Amino acid sequence: MSIRSEVITQINRVASEQDKRLAPLSDSLALLDSGLDSLCLAIVVARLEDELGIDPFSTAEEAGPPVTLGEFIRLYEDAAK
Amino acid sequence: MRNVLVTGGSRGLGLGIARKLAGAEYRVIALARKESEPLAAALREAETAHPGSLHFFACDLGQIEELGGIVKTLRKKFGPIYGLVNNAGMSFDGTLPLMPTAQIEQLVRVNTISPMVLTKYVVRHMMADGGGRIVNIASITGFTGYSGLSVYSATKAALIGFTRSLAREAGRMGVNVNAVAPGFVDTEMTQSLGEEGRERIVRRSALRRMAEVEDVANAVEFLLSCKSKNITGTVLTVDAGSTA
Repeated sequence: MSIRSEVITQINRVASEQDKRLAPLSDSLALLDSGLDSLCLAIVVARLEDELGIDPFSTAEEAGPPVTLGEFIRLYEDAAK
Repeated sequence: MRNVLVTGGSRGLGLGIARKLAGAEYRVIALARKESEPLAAALREAETAHPGSLHFFACDLGQIEELGGIVKTLRKKFGPIYGLVNNAGMSFDGTLPLMPTAQIEQLVRVNTISPMVLTKYVVRHMMADGGGRIVNIASITGFTGYSGLSVYSATKAALIGFTRSLAREAGRMGVNVNAVAPGFVDTEMTQSLGEEGRERIVRRSALRRMAEVEDVANAVEFLLSCKSKNITGTVLTVDAGSTA
């Protein structure tokens, strides 16, 4: 499974568990408009760490938080390189 | 067995908490820089009485940038973490005007920043796993004054504020967050009080005695148990009535 599809899978899973209605997912979608709140995003990050073994938010040189879904996915793709 | 991390679990309060929880059907992982002789004895005892209930994990919690990796390693080795007891702390006794700035920074780093960052990495997995318990060991000095402990008191007051707000933040994800505020307990950390200081504390307490390590450990056990499922964002004072 690609990193992109794993991220999308986890977002859908958490939305379903937390009873959140997701906006149509696209790279330009702002995370804050996705239907997931910050706690749900924290769960997505924790699950992705388990699935991919990557946590781009724990590195010392982390940049500002990603604004869009595309930026969020890119963060994981870059960390996997 | 549910996994519980106890920071500073090699001596004093932390060791007492670790021993208590190991005897209460938890798998306790005591985090500390070195394995002390009392911890080694507790590990041997636990292995006989409740095999697998007490483990030691060596790490320096003052190395903030290492904490994410530590949590990852612990989860890989032991599985999901149910409870976190932020007990590790240090104290320098001394008046503020003479306290070296480096000591002030070290106190804030070890007593406040380290537990906050460790909690950050643990709580998000608790939320993802559907719940968990966090107990922060504060101190009565966080809400009552004691000369010579101004910076230490400030770090403990910070933990109380942290406890209340995190309880609000993580509550709907099933995570309870509470603090225990011990009074002066007879441990290595309070040795500097001297006999006279100890007598003064006893004289001023409602019960005319000092709280013991066992009392604090009982409070932590309660806050991790199902008996406290509807208690969150609170501070349980264990001080034999020093602040009554």
